[in-house]
Amino acid sequence: MTLLKVNDLKVHFPIRGGILNRKIDAIRAVDGVNFEIRQGETYGLVGESGSGKTTTGKAVMGLNNITDGEIYFENELLNKGSKVNIRRDIQMIFQDPYSSLNPRKRVFDIIAEPIRNYEKLSKQEEKRRVQELLSQVGLSPESILKYPHEFSGGQRQRIGVARAIALKPKLIIMDEPVSALDVSVQAQVLNFMQELQEELNLTYLFISHDLGVVKHMCDRIGIMYNGRYVEEGTKEEIFNDPQHIYTKRLVAAIPDIDPKRRQDNFKFREQVKDEFTNSYNDYFDEDGLAYQLKPITDTHRVALPERG
Amino acid sequence: MSQKQTQGDIEKAVKEQQEEKQEQKSPSGFRIFWREILKDKLALVSLIFFVLITVVVFGASEILDKAEVTRVDPFNIYQPPSDEFLLGTDQGGRDIFGQLMIGTRNSLAIGFLVTLLSGIIGVVFGVVSGYFGGHIDNALMRVVDFFMVLPFIMLVIVFVAIVPKYSIWTFSLIMTAFLWMGIARLIRSKALQEKELDYAQASRTLGSSHTKIIFKQVLPNITSLIVVTMTLNLAANIGIESGLSFLGFGFPKDTPSLGTLLSYTTNPITLEERWWIWLPAAVLILLLMLSVRNVGEALKRAADARQRRA
Repeated sequence: MTLLKVNDLKVHFPIRGGILNRKIDAIRAVDGVNFEIRQGETYGLVGESGSGKTTTGKAVMGLNNITDGEIYFENELLNKGSKVNIRRDIQMIFQDPYSSLNPRKRVFDIIAEPIRNYEKLSKQEEKRRVQELLSQVGLSPESILKYPHEFSGGQRQRIGVARAIALKPKLIIMDEPVSALDVSVQAQVLNFMQELQEELNLTYLFISHDLGVVKHMCDRIGIMYNGRYVEEGTKEEIFNDPQHIYTKRLVAAIPDIDPKRRQDNFKFREQVKDEFTNSYNDYFDEDGLAYQLKPITDTHRVALPERG
Repeated sequence: MSQKQTQGDIEKAVKEQQEEKQEQKSPSGFRIFWREILKDKLALVSLIFFVLITVVVFGASEILDKAEVTRVDPFNIYQPPSDEFLLGTDQGGRDIFGQLMIGTRNSLAIGFLVTLLSGIIGVVFGVVSGYFGGHIDNALMRVVDFFMVLPFIMLVIVFVAIVPKYSIWTFSLIMTAFLWMGIARLIRSKALQEKELDYAQASRTLGSSHTKIIFKQVLPNITSLIVVTMTLNLAANIGIESGLSFLGFGFPKDTPSLGTLLSYTTNPITLEERWWIWLPAAVLILLLMLSVRNVGEALKRAADARQRRA
């Protein structure tokens, strides 16, 4: 069942200048993106910085105005023109656990915020809910009176998770949820999120640039470049059978821990890099943008040019 | 014996550790400020001095009868300080000490009122402008610019002339109308920064309204800035009031303030020979402004962890 459907999403930021501060051009942060997320899966959105993956996530969340396109959630249109509704069924986990928690608020107030906004509970019930949520994310229920700076990065991210699941959402957008954390803590948080997904039957939109993490987490993956999709497919298709030259290069860049293969890997990467430079014009149009996606199999779509 | 001693040592160590733990809990904003004040002796003395003056002045002016103090007494003109008149009298035979008390009270009251009123207007204006940004910010900031280009003293003179019932309140309102823009600009720039932080966006995703985010999320994070600016503004506002009164556009002559006492110096003979009329007021203005500033500086350092001395 399709939970989220994004149809030809465009987010352009105006560049102002000239006389009277008119709009003279636009940064096409997201430029015609289509994808669907099914109930219960983890969908990975991958791309380099500036490729528009975070903007896509924020647009779905309703934090950005969109320029064009439609966002459907459970077959219901979310956006009216450029404004996207904020829904309690969609929640977000932010990249930086240090700035996403208000430093002046106690953990209790931070986690209770969504509950206070949507549900009328007595103080006692509210406190019990917050404590339940805290133990659900593996923090001690006694910590409700602490301030965010008294926690480590991993613990803070867990507070962010507790806040996001407080309303029992259906879709959680995770914007690079572990890129600000230690590698040792990353695995801990990721595994915990997978457990949580099974427990609460959640659907994740997982935004990341870390392919290792994406491979660990996601069922289906979309690769973005310059605001457009270059390839979309299941995890196996992307990692074992990348079709687009950009995807190939990304996959080749995943580090290998075996030192014996270092030379081979190096040569392989050089080879892929040469292929990338040589065939860049075949895979991208004259503006350096990806072509329209074309299906290869039922699940695998690649941005390849029309061949006559 | 020795065992008992070790036992005692252990208990002591445990107790110390517990105390240390208590210490480690992050100190509240007030505690931080208090530590900073204790460390900075000058600020501590300033604070004590300011509180003392405030209490004495407000207390004394409750006891003193204003009509009595400002009554003209032709038999006691220009008396130097004596037992009867602690700080002598002015050209109307009025007691300078009584005028000084009531005058300082009036000046301080004006200072507090103007700081508070301009603070409230400035903070609301600035935070709304900075948070929403875009067209709202543009429009509100043009209003600020408009008030900025108005000639402050000229307009105060006009207002003072046309307002019929003239009191502490009306005077504060007139002053406030021209003194809120600085705070508004400062708070706006800070609010612009704060709203970009993830926690403000997170609040949106959690379903909080803009009003809620502004006043419950963003505002608590800029309180330290507000407190610091308002303290430093207090000193400035006392000075501005004195200046206006000196020029004769503050309080009327029958309502004493620090400025009206100073304005007696327009008479050169008073300036040269009758020091008791103006010197106490001048010294008091200087000391009050300095002490408020010292406390404000300590507050400023306490608000910024990198500048703290304690």
